[in-house]
Amino acid sequence: MRALKVVLGLAAALLVHVIGVWAFPALPRYLDLFLVVAVLNALGGSSAAGLLGGTAAGLVHDTLSGRLYGFHGFADTIVGYAVARAAQRLDIARPGAVLVTVALATLLQQAVLIALAHLFTDPGEPPELVPVLVRAVADGAVAALLWSFTTRVRGARERVRRKRMAKIRL
Amino acid sequence: MRGDAGATLLEQWAVRLVAPIPRAVDAITGSVEHAGEGMRRREELEAETVRLHARIETLERELIRLRNVEEERDQLAAALEYTPQVPGRLRPAQVVYIDHSSTLRTLILFCGGSPARVDQPVLTPDGLVGRVILVAGSYAKVQLLTDRAAAVSAVIVRTRRQALVRGGTESLELDFVPVQAAVQVGDRVITAGTDGVYPRGIAIGTVSKVLAGGELFRAITVTPAVDFAHLDRVYLLENEPVPKELMEASPRARP
Repeated sequence: MRALKVVLGLAAALLVHVIGVWAFPALPRYLDLFLVVAVLNALGGSSAAGLLGGTAAGLVHDTLSGRLYGFHGFADTIVGYAVARAAQRLDIARPGAVLVTVALATLLQQAVLIALAHLFTDPGEPPELVPVLVRAVADGAVAALLWSFTTRVRGARERVRRKRMAKIRL
Repeated sequence: MRGDAGATLLEQWAVRLVAPIPRAVDAITGSVEHAGEGMRRREELEAETVRLHARIETLERELIRLRNVEEERDQLAAALEYTPQVPGRLRPAQVVYIDHSSTLRTLILFCGGSPARVDQPVLTPDGLVGRVILVAGSYAKVQLLTDRAAAVSAVIVRTRRQALVRGGTESLELDFVPVQAAVQVGDRVITAGTDGVYPRGIAIGTVSKVLAGGELFRAITVTPAVDFAHLDRVYLLENEPVPKELMEASPRARP
């Protein structure tokens, strides 16, 4: 069930990403939906799920990116694992906490990507700070919105279930 | 595990799996744009017809001139017993996705029935776009000329000075032009045909900035001939590639 959610999440991210790039070509500089999916999945708290979700999200991103194949895969794997480990120790349940977590995850991803570029390819110029910070905030905001939306849907579904159970008892 | 199309099998399968989604989006957005075009007014269509007729006349005159030049070239070549390189055939391909985000810029093409070939040149009527770096079924990943890792052997048309064009963030860089070489803003740069990938004579761009640079070489900036922000349809050049064995053969390998 969880794997299916990740696959559907990645498919939706891919669709929105492609439509977004058509409408606004510079979108990937300011928003990484694949990382959002990886981090939201990792917030469930399972290290293995976080790690595998990160790998899948990164590899899908790599397919559309011009970087060496596997750069995002590696970076998002580390991010997914790190977020899952953090979620095991911290209570990340409020949208504000999700925003901060995803923003930090974006910065971690950038740090790993820069390190990989230095190790394996011509590093070129370092990425500009402003787009990276904008992306961190944008990723965090989108993740927080999705988190609060899914929490509300889950809550509403739970209330309906309880009502049904109460009727059955009567 | 490596496939024979320029990348790992995992990457090839990932492209096969993911690329149909950008293609579907491209088809849908394309139909929406065409629907908008279909609702233009009659006067606009009439004006466009007049404009197109004028353009056809200009192009026909140009075609006649070029045919004469070609005939003249063939006659001169025959007199010198020289066999000119056969120009390749152009095959249209549909751009389904462009990566604008990273410094390593690529695009994904849908090539239709027959697949592309790794290192196949990609062009538009304006000039060189890049080369195919990965083939996955009907899809191909292209390294753009503006990619920081891209390099093309080039020649300055006016002076026939050979150099190397490298990808830059916004424009291209022309490397290995000595400080004593004559280069000026506005000089046209074309492919030299000496790198084994791109044939000779494809437009790369125009020199837009010439600086003193270092002690040996000038720092030259070239504006690409192709507008990479408006790539819609490109062409794959079906030329005969230089055999790999020849490219990789070194003097030591020979007896």
